[in-house]
Amino acid sequence: MMKIRLSRGMIDVLSGAASIGCFLLLWLALTRHTGLGELIPGPDVVLAALFKGLFGKVGRHGILVHAGYSLARVLAGFAIGGAAGVVIGLSMGWSRFAEAVFQPLYRVVRPIPPIAWIPISIIWFGLGESAKVFLIFLASFANVTLNAWSGARDADRQLIGAARMLGANQRQIFLTIVLPSAVPQIFAGLQVAMSNSWATVLAAEMVRSSEGLGWMIVTGMSNNDIVQILSGIVAIGVVGFVLSVAMRKAEALLCRWNHGGR
Amino acid sequence: MGSNAKVKVRHLTKKFGDLLVLDDVSFEVGDGDLLCVVGPTGCGKTTFLNSLTKIYDITSGEILLNDEPVDPGRHNISYIFQGDSTMPWLTVEQNVRFGLDIKGYPEARKREQVDKYLDIVGLDAYRGYYPKQLSASMLQRVGIARAFATEPELLLMDEPYGQLDIELRFKLEDELVKLWRLTGTTVIFITHNIEEAVYLGNRIMVLTNKPAGVKETLNDDLPRPRDITAPEFVELRNRVTDLIKWW
Repeated sequence: MMKIRLSRGMIDVLSGAASIGCFLLLWLALTRHTGLGELIPGPDVVLAALFKGLFGKVGRHGILVHAGYSLARVLAGFAIGGAAGVVIGLSMGWSRFAEAVFQPLYRVVRPIPPIAWIPISIIWFGLGESAKVFLIFLASFANVTLNAWSGARDADRQLIGAARMLGANQRQIFLTIVLPSAVPQIFAGLQVAMSNSWATVLAAEMVRSSEGLGWMIVTGMSNNDIVQILSGIVAIGVVGFVLSVAMRKAEALLCRWNHGGR
Repeated sequence: MGSNAKVKVRHLTKKFGDLLVLDDVSFEVGDGDLLCVVGPTGCGKTTFLNSLTKIYDITSGEILLNDEPVDPGRHNISYIFQGDSTMPWLTVEQNVRFGLDIKGYPEARKREQVDKYLDIVGLDAYRGYYPKQLSASMLQRVGIARAFATEPELLLMDEPYGQLDIELRFKLEDELVKLWRLTGTTVIFITHNIEEAVYLGNRIMVLTNKPAGVKETLNDDLPRPRDITAPEFVELRNRVTDLIKWW
């Protein structure tokens, strides 16, 4: 009998596809053969609506445009929050003075959920894009700061000593030892920050917007259109999945050394 | 030794709070010496080395390299640590280049030095590998190549082979002797292994139990390559063992 050898990547793809396929089949079976069908439509109906929405319109735009609006908001807030988190976190991990200055403020701000800022963001920025980006900034900033901070603070003292012995000054030690040491932790923080950003953009769009995946869900709820709600949820899942895979690829590329491969 | 000494340590004292670890240590190391420092476990050998390199601030005394206060920023010093100290995000080649990059050597010189020392430690075929892909002995060889590549005035080694098995240790000890004879670098080698000290050094300094002081410094001019079963080797090893006993 001929044996087929699959690569590790192919096995991962097939396993993922099988897991999603099983979930869809279970969903289909439950909606067809149990009382669940009275509450929600089956995956065939939702996927058909999603497919139709890709080429037609849901409200004023197609689903791709709605996803594009949400994605643009997420990426803007995530980029600003991520950049600020990396700079402030690394500063706190590297400089005792920066840690003393920022730590108390950070510890106060960190536990506040981003949605608690919605009223203030509306007062400060109005109902436009700035308020949404501000909320996403808050959602991504906290995790990235924490990870960059601990990544820099926990840099291996022996490696710092080795660099110092070879004549490295403070700037060289930061750039050649502390920063690369912190990269894996920063990426872990960015992954969590991305998930939080998605959760927050939906909350922000539910407050006030005329486009975006959050808007699709809210209008679906207003119109008692459960198919539209589920289409929005599935679209969020797909975009989130794509972003997560992209982040993992970027990490694998930038941290090849941490994955034991060349 | 006097004025031609490479390293002069005078009245070196180190305290951690009230705990006296180094007590008025004075000694000299000649240019091109391979000085092995032995002492009882926990006597403060690593503290001694870290004080020499200013990783720790000393409590009192002075340490001179070429008659100037020692300063890793100004003097060309390399340090090989007990454990692996390769940068995991750099390849073997980049690790060996690290010190040369820091010191701003010209590109052609960097390439020449990296090629030379990768060849000497037998890692030329592994220059593109990351530390995670290497064995313990290969990692130590990367550290050794990195330390020698800058052709330091002073090389400090803190029990670098303590965690390796005996076969690897013998191999790397021979490699060190080869590099030392090739480059003429002044080396201070800390170890708790008396046999290793007698095998490697041309001088052996024995420290007392904590607080550490210098008990005695011996010349070790046994012919190389050394035979650890030779009567004169065994005799010197026994003498160092007798000196090290504090019980």
